[in-house]
Amino acid sequence: MDPLSWGEILARVLAQFTPVWIALVLVFVVSILFKRRLGLYGKLFDSLIGMIGYGMVMFWVFTGVFGAFDLIVTHDSLQQISSMKNKVPGFPILGAEEGQYPYYLLGGDNLGRDVFSRMIDGAWVVVQIAPLATVFAFMVGITLGLPAGYYGGRLDTALSFLANLILAFPVILLFYLLVTPEIIATGIPNYMATFLFIFPIIFAAVLLNSRYHTRPTLRTPLLIGVLGVLGWLYLSLVSEVGSKVYLIPGFADLFDVPAGILVVFVSVVFVNSPTVFRIVRGLTMDIKTRDYVAAAQTRGEGPWYIMLWEILPNARGPLIVDFCLRIGYTTILLGTLGFFGLGLPPESPDWGTTINDGRRLLRIYLHPALVPAISLLTLVLGLNLLADGLREESLRD
Amino acid sequence: MKDGYDGPILEIDKLSISFFTRLREIPAVMDFSVVVQPGEAVGLVGESGCGKSTVALGVMQDLGKNGRIVGGSIKFKGRDLGAMSLDELREIRGSEIAMIYQEPMASLNPAMKIGKQLMEVPMIHRGASEKDAYERALQVVTDVKLPDPRRILDSYPHQLSGGQQQRIVIAMALMAEPSLLILDEPTTALDVTVEAAVVELVKELGKKYGTSMLFISHNLGLVLETCDRICVMYSGEAVERGSIKDVFDEMQHPYTQALFRSIPLPGADKNAHPLRAIPGNFPLPHERPEGCNFGPRCDYFEAGRCDQGTIPMESVPGNDRHATRCLKFREIDWNAPLTADIAKEKSEPGRVVLKMEDLKKYYEVAANALFGKSGETKVVKANETLSFEARESETLAIVGESGCGKSTFAKVLMGLETATDGRILLDNQEIQHVPIQARNTKTVADVQMVFQNPFDTLNPSMTVGRQIMRALEIFGIGDSEEERRKRMLQLLDLVKLPREFADRMPRQLSGGQKQRVGIARAFAGGARIVVADEPVSALDVSVQAAVTDLLMEIQREQKTTLLFISHDLSIVRYLSDRVMVMYLGHVVELGTTEQVFAPPYHPYTEALLSAVPIADTSVEKKHIVLEGDIPSAMNPPPGCPFQTRCRWKDRVPGNLCEQDVPPVRKMASGHQLKCHLDDAVFDEMEPVIKVAAE
Repeated sequence: MDPLSWGEILARVLAQFTPVWIALVLVFVVSILFKRRLGLYGKLFDSLIGMIGYGMVMFWVFTGVFGAFDLIVTHDSLQQISSMKNKVPGFPILGAEEGQYPYYLLGGDNLGRDVFSRMIDGAWVVVQIAPLATVFAFMVGITLGLPAGYYGGRLDTALSFLANLILAFPVILLFYLLVTPEIIATGIPNYMATFLFIFPIIFAAVLLNSRYHTRPTLRTPLLIGVLGVLGWLYLSLVSEVGSKVYLIPGFADLFDVPAGILVVFVSVVFVNSPTVFRIVRGLTMDIKTRDYVAAAQTRGEGPWYIMLWEILPNARGPLIVDFCLRIGYTTILLGTLGFFGLGLPPESPDWGTTINDGRRLLRIYLHPALVPAISLLTLVLGLNLLADGLREESLRD
Repeated sequence: MKDGYDGPILEIDKLSISFFTRLREIPAVMDFSVVVQPGEAVGLVGESGCGKSTVALGVMQDLGKNGRIVGGSIKFKGRDLGAMSLDELREIRGSEIAMIYQEPMASLNPAMKIGKQLMEVPMIHRGASEKDAYERALQVVTDVKLPDPRRILDSYPHQLSGGQQQRIVIAMALMAEPSLLILDEPTTALDVTVEAAVVELVKELGKKYGTSMLFISHNLGLVLETCDRICVMYSGEAVERGSIKDVFDEMQHPYTQALFRSIPLPGADKNAHPLRAIPGNFPLPHERPEGCNFGPRCDYFEAGRCDQGTIPMESVPGNDRHATRCLKFREIDWNAPLTADIAKEKSEPGRVVLKMEDLKKYYEVAANALFGKSGETKVVKANETLSFEARESETLAIVGESGCGKSTFAKVLMGLETATDGRILLDNQEIQHVPIQARNTKTVADVQMVFQNPFDTLNPSMTVGRQIMRALEIFGIGDSEEERRKRMLQLLDLVKLPREFADRMPRQLSGGQKQRVGIARAFAGGARIVVADEPVSALDVSVQAAVTDLLMEIQREQKTTLLFISHDLSIVRYLSDRVMVMYLGHVVELGTTEQVFAPPYHPYTEALLSAVPIADTSVEKKHIVLEGDIPSAMNPPPGCPFQTRCRWKDRVPGNLCEQDVPPVRKMASGHQLKCHLDDAVFDEMEPVIKVAAE
């Protein structure tokens, strides 16, 4: 068999993405049809920039999700075929077995793995980690930023100082420190995870209690239920049999998070939350001067109700925009971590690791590094365009 | 005139302006015509959203990228502004047409010294040398009566007070000696006494320079004082146009009439002659009715006639350039007296509910926030020996300008701050040291507040019903969600809002409707004392009457004590039983409404009364313009707080005013003043407002 021409490669790649195209078209058609009823999300479809950004982001989200269901990938991303080492895109597999996809669409890397499939699987890694890590960073930032902005004074001074301290610390150095075996042996990353991941629980508890404390019959069961579920998830996440934080027995542990991933999570949350803290603090200081906050105070509402139900919902606009941008930063951060081989296992298909693998032979074979680099670029660009579109549309009308 | 042109300065002919949104075209101004002659001041009056500012922007040809002139023409000195190139327009803007906006700080560059900003004008428009420009700037700043012009020229905008900033903006507009000056609500952001001084200045300068003026305002009284002619706008159209005298005394349009009936003029009385709010709501620009825009709200509406076709402007015979957009103006008997509503019974004040005794609130302001201990601390005396009583179902008005301490007083009463000294007795219980967290639910529900800004008073991300139900929840009313929902719907009935509003978001409501929700929320726990902090000052005049009446009605039913904070003396005279005048934290006068509004006055009350514009040509007002600005509470003058601006100061022997804070003087029963003046001088005082005999 001859290698595929560029046109054929393109056609086959596009065909391979069929489920993604179908999903994208569905999402866009439904969204545009109902855009007047969808609030800010609907307004996004009035802005070309926003629509392009949203399309790019959703492309990678669907790619990641469908890839995880084995819909798009052509080969196992870890399978090595020695004859395919460093082969150019569209190279046929010699002696392909029955049912095996006969080409490496985007070529093979230095170990003979399929670059196309690794790209798809890399998208799944990003889609799993980046939004979740950003959510955690927001939980921490919001839970600390609201009281800092609302109370001001010493609390604000202390928390802001802490945030500045973290921001002043070199990020890369911090990552290297966190993955050093000696540091892991002391259990610092585990303790940090234990500390950082408790914030969502505090957040949920305060949120519900402040809202429903006047109705104990509803509040108490609700809190017990929500906190029970969250608490179990939390313990499963931080507790690891045999590690420094060993809180619940193995059979109760719902899932195991590989130690490397936990470190990635911790570092991303740790680095992002001070910035979120500052944004939330600033917004709170602005909104707390509004009359509806004064009205809540004069009817004797507690401070946490005011912060979480009167201030936070009205700060959502800028926070949503920042959330999109921050997923982009987190994606880049993940790439950086992978590139330095920090946290994620060396054979992981994530884009950062793949770029680093391809880097060594960059002058001879471009494609193994180029494909993940372009993927990373388009996803982050898409997120930035999406944030731009949201900001523009939220300011109009 | 700089050139030989002697026709009308500005001719707007059948102007139509539309804004284009992604959904539809929204006509903002339709078929609007007005002529401004040289040296003439024309007032443009209407409620918010009627298109008066759009006209001004149209004249400046500055409609943004969504707005477009879709019909008619604007001629400036005979030249069509719409046909001019951008370069020609730039030549005219700022040099021949100048505009003054509402917010002075928004018109000044905060990073540039005043002098430099002023000098730019002649340097750019006429290529004047720096020295000439400076001379001119100095002269204009002297013209706008700012003290120490050289120092002012050398300061940054933030170093000046609001009134001074607005004077600078006026000075800047006058630098190029424009032929036309457009003023868009130039005094709305200022205090009344400062407003009076600025208006005086604008009038004087208009005469001195012979400038024509287009004065945009929602305040009829202000237009009466400043303008020669008036144009009343409603929903994008001019509805009546004519000289001030014709329009004020012989109005020929139902909207103008309704507008005048809804503002509190001297003589209006909440019990005998209540105000008449205009029924219904202002139509949204894309939901205007067929035919007459005012039709659905008009008392003289005739189906089949007023709701068809377009209604043209017709001139009123016998008057000079007086025109009206009404089909029936010849048939309506304009002098028919208002069919008097049933006079409501005056409710008698009951027992004393709230008592303040020598209340003091001081704030300590550290010179340096971080190293506060080492630096000296300054004490701001926000409230100084405040004493009064408030009875059941009584309205006590608290009057004063910004910085007089009325908001601080409200905060202390609500428990958001605790008093420095003195006592607050609520039903004979001391609450001055109990912060709101420590108050029991009953006390909190008893003392509630209605806020000033309707756009800020409701949480934008919660439905109206939910917000009222939350208040009920907090006050422990109702045992279940259903019960509270029922109670919430009753509260909506109480404030005369349709029950469907429960599921609406605040942004779907108009300002007046939001204010009603705010009132419903305040009364959720059966409040007995309601502090209303300028509840209607941000609303349009026609809505003001409705909201005020609502407050009065609820008060009558529930025997509420109303503490009405305001700077608008017209509305205070209309609805309050007693008035307390505050200046820089001191109560300078306290008495029944009749006592405060008649001599003897405290000198500050006198100035305040004279400053309030009254939209009635039969009222004669004494002109008292206060010099200078309100001193800062951080650095109050020694002795009497008002001595720096008092016009009676030289009647007090010695330096008494500068040395001692005057004692509280009892005049008649229940009337007290804080002044050093002699009884003989008080007897000399004449009433500020005189209604000419009919």
